[in-house]
Amino acid sequence: MDELTREFLIESQEGLDRMERCLTDLEERPDDAALLADIFRSVHTIKGTTGFLGFKRLEELAHSGENLLGMLREGKLAVSAPIITGLLHLLDGLRSILKTIEADDKEGDGSDAALIENLDQLQSPTKAEEMKQATHARTSSAKSHFEPRQAVPAEPPVAAVFQEPAAVVETRPAPPEAPTSPASPAPPEAREAETTRAKAAPGTSAAESTLRVDVTLLNRMMNLVGELVLTRNQVLQATSADPKMTLLSRRLDMVTADLRESVMKARMQPVSNVFSKMPRIVRDLAQSLHRRVRLQMEGQETELDKSLLEAIKDPLTHAVRNSLDHGIEPPDVREAAGKDPEGTLRLRAMQEGSHVIIEVSDDGGGIAVDKVRAKAIERGLITADRAALQPERELLQLIFLPGFSTAAAVTNVSGRGVGMDVVKTNVERIGGKVEIDSRVGKGTTLRLRIPLTLAIIPALIVRSVHQSFALPQGALSELVHVSPEQAATTIEWIEDAPLYRLRGKLLPLVFLDRLLTPAASGDNARDRDSFIAILDADGRRFGLVVDGLADPEEIVVKPLSVALKGIGLYSGATVLGSGDLALILDPSAIAMKAGVTMTTEEEAARSSEAETADVENRAEFLLVEAAGRKAAVPLGDVLRIEQMPMSRIEYVGVRPVINFDGQLLPVDDTGGVLAASEGNPEAQVVVVVCREGNRHVGIAVSHVLDVATGAELYEAGTTLRTQGVTLLKECVTGVVNLGGIADLVADVTASNEWSPTAEAIQ
Amino acid sequence: MSNQVAAATRRKDKSASALVEICSVRLGNALYGMPISHILEIVGGARPQPVPLAPSFVGGLVHYRGDVLTAVSLRQLLRMPPLDGPQDILVLESSGGCFGLLVDSVGEVLTVPAADFEPNPSTLDETRRDLIAGAYKLQNALMVMLDPERLDPVRLGVAEAA
Repeated sequence: MDELTREFLIESQEGLDRMERCLTDLEERPDDAALLADIFRSVHTIKGTTGFLGFKRLEELAHSGENLLGMLREGKLAVSAPIITGLLHLLDGLRSILKTIEADDKEGDGSDAALIENLDQLQSPTKAEEMKQATHARTSSAKSHFEPRQAVPAEPPVAAVFQEPAAVVETRPAPPEAPTSPASPAPPEAREAETTRAKAAPGTSAAESTLRVDVTLLNRMMNLVGELVLTRNQVLQATSADPKMTLLSRRLDMVTADLRESVMKARMQPVSNVFSKMPRIVRDLAQSLHRRVRLQMEGQETELDKSLLEAIKDPLTHAVRNSLDHGIEPPDVREAAGKDPEGTLRLRAMQEGSHVIIEVSDDGGGIAVDKVRAKAIERGLITADRAALQPERELLQLIFLPGFSTAAAVTNVSGRGVGMDVVKTNVERIGGKVEIDSRVGKGTTLRLRIPLTLAIIPALIVRSVHQSFALPQGALSELVHVSPEQAATTIEWIEDAPLYRLRGKLLPLVFLDRLLTPAASGDNARDRDSFIAILDADGRRFGLVVDGLADPEEIVVKPLSVALKGIGLYSGATVLGSGDLALILDPSAIAMKAGVTMTTEEEAARSSEAETADVENRAEFLLVEAAGRKAAVPLGDVLRIEQMPMSRIEYVGVRPVINFDGQLLPVDDTGGVLAASEGNPEAQVVVVVCREGNRHVGIAVSHVLDVATGAELYEAGTTLRTQGVTLLKECVTGVVNLGGIADLVADVTASNEWSPTAEAIQ
Repeated sequence: MSNQVAAATRRKDKSASALVEICSVRLGNALYGMPISHILEIVGGARPQPVPLAPSFVGGLVHYRGDVLTAVSLRQLLRMPPLDGPQDILVLESSGGCFGLLVDSVGEVLTVPAADFEPNPSTLDETRRDLIAGAYKLQNALMVMLDPERLDPVRLGVAEAA
């Protein structure tokens, strides 16, 4: 294909895209001469160039379209729904020929006779009228005010641009057929939208200041800029000593940053590129589904990386289809429900931090949560108990599960669900998220969260086997630091499987260093700091143990060679700010390789049951130390931990007490902490204030160590003050018997030998 | 067993002068040659980032012009002990894309008559024969030629898997 043809194809496609936009606009504003002029220009350009290039079929088709458009432009004919439909068919016809040319460099030998005949027929007003009458029954009344006989003043394009469109709407005579199908006047917001659109009317000057650039060239520029950034970093490091060079390198720094931003910007395109396809889809669907729909679009100027824009096109189309098909009810149903028979579909785009939010909302029937819940239980996606506990909003997200999409019953009753898992998958593939919100009878909102650029993702840089790795933040839910002393107790083992107790639940651990160097000796002791990164990868929850954490960084993802993809643990590589390379870890691949299975709803339910059963045996304890011995205080009974000077401790007989908020608080000093500091009013002591029945008691301790979950051990012997002992952090620890302390208050004079209750048996 | 380097060289012979430019690389005490036409760039003093669990022939990853290249370790391929410290990398272009070749150091570029090329002797060990294209007869030594196509990590990966 020669350069000229290729150029023609690109230009024509752009022209046709613009024509499509204008046609749907024209339907709303049939007397906008500027729009007509623009459409005419698109078709005319195609006709002119095709004649020159020798595409006869295309020329003939464009010619008949041009004739019809010419009549419209001169005001000999008024815009009507059948004419718009005819012109849209013309558009499709032109497009399909262009496609054929693109593929085989030839026009193909299809016949356009029927289409041309249709276009010719439309030129005669009576014919058009007849057709209109015939189609009127099924076309929406919004289109019914396009009266063919109604004289439309042939305004010159320029005048129309400056004319107040709102005024046009108001001065338009009421449609004669109004009684049969009530035409609603455009609501104020729609008029406003019209105004803004008319103001932004097609300006050819924009085309002159822009340039078409190949995307691959932009990608290459992006890579080179990345390279420049790294070189700059190295220059900055190398020249930091020389004051003259510092100035120069700082300038280099600034220019590079600007350049990088500009190149990134060059890849950005407004979402209007995708939104602009929607009016046509909505129009066609509304007609075929017999719905009346008003489309509102906001935030079209929001920009998004080109590759992402391409990626959201399908999910968005799907969402719009869903809204029309299952969301917005037929006009009679809407009227019966006391709603405007014309439904509203809103497309909204906005930027929120490093994400772009795209919302598709309708004011249709919404999704009945009860139905979703019932279906989910029926399909075994969720247990009944769990379903009862989950908030409605979370239940709604279930419709994204693959099991739901094919369930015809749900689609019919709840109103939505076809291929929602496809929407979710597509959006998640590009690192985005999908949420749904719905209220029965009020409508549904689907929210897509898309990252600004595909190539750059936030990641946490972790260290293991003396190397840096990037861990995508998306999968990371929390981080736990384990000091070498803690490592022996916090990381527990069932045979060879390491586990960590995260809020009472056992979490499988994966040691990154062992995973990466299987040959290394399996030495379980960890003599250095470790960090557990709790990851949630596609429902697989596990802790990844790494040696260190570095800063979080926005990383540029680079693909790996095929030879390395086979390893399966890495999703790519990246160049860090320091110039070092880091492999990007793939959490779900690691989970799979380590054999972490998906927590199904059933399992989760079972474990939560076990948890409830466990609650009686398990309690949280405050681990305290008194004079070198550890003891446990039930956490539920602890009111506060007070640090105070010895001077506040007073004595009633031999019993130490403190005046605590006007109450006499007996202090238990079985650990001998107070006795050790006696006579030194400056010394600080820690008193744990606990509740015992209606009374409060204090326990003097040296330190408060930690909060831990313990299992009670009934077998242990009891003394006067121990209710029992508990297994705390794998150590059998004595529990302070608060009742025993409080009893003593009644008998302050009683002298008691303290028996070592709060003793840690190591 | 004809090979691409030789074929390419021969084609060149017919069209223009019968001279071929060869970049010499050192590996231990041995000298190897790489046709300069396949070399995109020589990166000196690189420290490749090791890739845990990678096939043995992978010497690591290197950063090259904003891209991350897989570097093939010639030492590993020839079953030589690994070398500590910085190494030179030849950035090569093959049908599968770009990759790096880790060598001890890069030497001078020699211009030799294409006619001096001889294919591998039949007695050459099987594993080496897969990597070596043949040799140029220099005045006082042989310049053993490496074939970039055969060093491509994708191809090596397939070979290793098989």
